[in-house]
Amino acid sequence: MPLKLLFQLSWRNLWRHRRRNTILLIAIAIAVAGVVLLNSLLRGMQVDMENSVIENLTGHVKVLQPGYLDDPSVANGFEVTEGWDLDLPPEAVAGWTSRVRVPAVIMSERETRGVQLVGIDPAREHISFLDDIVIEGEGLSGPDDRRVMVGAGLAEQLETKVGRRLVLVMQGADGRNREAGYRIAGIYRAEIAGLEKAFVFTGEATLQDLLDTLVVTEVSVRLTDSSHEASILGRMVDAFIGLDVRSWRELEPQAAMLVEFMDNAVFIYFLVIMSALVFGLVNTLVTAVMERVRELGMLRALGMRPRSVVAQVVVESSLIMLVGVAGGLLIAAGVYSLIADGIDLTAFDDSLASFGVRPIFVPVIQIGDVILVAVLSLILGLLASFYPARRAVKLKPLDALRR
Amino acid sequence: MENPVVSCRGVSRVYDDDAVPVHALRGVDFQLEQGEWVSLAGPSGSGKSTLLHVIGGLDQPTAGKVTVDDTEVTALSEAQLSDLRLHKIGFVFQAYNLIPVLSALENVEFIMQLQGVAGAERRQRALEALDSLGLADLADRRPGEMSGGQQQRAAIARAIVTNPVLLLADEPSANLDTATTVELLDLLRKLNNERGVTILTATHDPVVMSYTTRQVNLRDGNVVEDST
Repeated sequence: MPLKLLFQLSWRNLWRHRRRNTILLIAIAIAVAGVVLLNSLLRGMQVDMENSVIENLTGHVKVLQPGYLDDPSVANGFEVTEGWDLDLPPEAVAGWTSRVRVPAVIMSERETRGVQLVGIDPAREHISFLDDIVIEGEGLSGPDDRRVMVGAGLAEQLETKVGRRLVLVMQGADGRNREAGYRIAGIYRAEIAGLEKAFVFTGEATLQDLLDTLVVTEVSVRLTDSSHEASILGRMVDAFIGLDVRSWRELEPQAAMLVEFMDNAVFIYFLVIMSALVFGLVNTLVTAVMERVRELGMLRALGMRPRSVVAQVVVESSLIMLVGVAGGLLIAAGVYSLIADGIDLTAFDDSLASFGVRPIFVPVIQIGDVILVAVLSLILGLLASFYPARRAVKLKPLDALRR
Repeated sequence: MENPVVSCRGVSRVYDDDAVPVHALRGVDFQLEQGEWVSLAGPSGSGKSTLLHVIGGLDQPTAGKVTVDDTEVTALSEAQLSDLRLHKIGFVFQAYNLIPVLSALENVEFIMQLQGVAGAERRQRALEALDSLGLADLADRRPGEMSGGQQQRAAIARAIVTNPVLLLADEPSANLDTATTVELLDLLRKLNNERGVTILTATHDPVVMSYTTRQVNLRDGNVVEDST
């Protein structure tokens, strides 16, 4: 049967039951749009979670002294000598920095808390969440700055403010306690409130002086894109023999598992929603075919081969799916354009913070997901149409004509 | 008779509906020559429509042998039967059975499209067929926009446009008034006389029988009379 005739008949048949096919089209379009938008939320959550972990002073790849993870003290540090540089392709690396990180106790006149004291070079911290913080007072001026920067949440707990002094107690490389007083240069607000209570920052060189050491405890590398992760990790493992080079996935396995789960969730949600839709599609197609059994029998009586009748039914349902999927993608694009800048979830700020999710949630549409939804929908539609098509040709032409 | 268009030898058809065998045809012997217009007549249940359907490959006999234009119908697969109907047989049904989403012209072109006839030739032949049946002005109308008589004429145009060796008409006048029936029969006579189209008609309408060149009467699945 000529393809032109096949499409002509199928297209015109679609217009015979406008209301029914319109409802079916709307159902398909809404389901497709729903899946695409749901995927964009999942992907947004995935990207947000991944970025949160990476910006949470982890980076994509981190270099540590073996044993640091079991005993995170300055005794498990390593030296980054003058001129020490990472020989990595510049297009793959957004930046890198070294840090000295030690557990410490922080005391104000009124309260005492346990924190992570981190010695940083502020100029190189554009790779972490410190790039996005809002500071009341001043930020640190450089690695030699002898002041501290504390989070707003911690400042509230310590009942202190900018310009006041705090006392920090930590363990030096020799195992003896060090104690020093620091003035608060600034109080920072981070997008994720939990970070404000966890980290206190000072100059990297300042902290090394206090701990009486030249070592750092970590070198963190931020990549331009996660796709470079495997190759950069491999190069760094080869370059830093004797050191512990790890990806963020190894350092934060729970977060990595959640991020990986999102990939599977995209499929699961698709299958659940589209399966429900396919039942509706099959039901509608069976009804449409059974209404036309006599007509299909007549076509076969005139000489149309059974496979051509099957092809006609399949093309009809494929056209419905094609138009429905296209409509769904348009709806999804329209809704996405309204929420692309982010969904304000500040009303749920506290509960979200405990999941490491930012209060402004930005959905992410990945072209691969859109293609997946479109192609799988069309394949499902195609498969769904075979059952009614088979029923259409199961009857002998004469039996069909007698109906 | 030499090389008949249709030959039936000992054709029987038994239906087993509700486990009670119904003998629609009982060993029918029947031949149809080139250029004949034969009416199969008889009361309801006599087997005339069943014989027409068996000859057209729409039904399979329980026993016996049927040949159409030297092709043994009873030995063909479903797909081969489709090809036989497509290339050798034209059908005119009681209920017209035009394709509702196609215009009269497209309906007439339809069979030729299935046959793979080229576009320009197809269009010309379809227009000629419609014109010969007085439907040239209605070529763009869909079946729902035509009267019963006009639809039946379009169905005849569709059936003859491919020059089939055999035209099968099952109760073609059943849904038509007397005037339209006569008009239709005049057309069939013209096709039979001028173009030599071989026609087999199942009918119980005496007006139709009066037009045919030979009448075969059936009763209880047997041929009881064959007269010219």
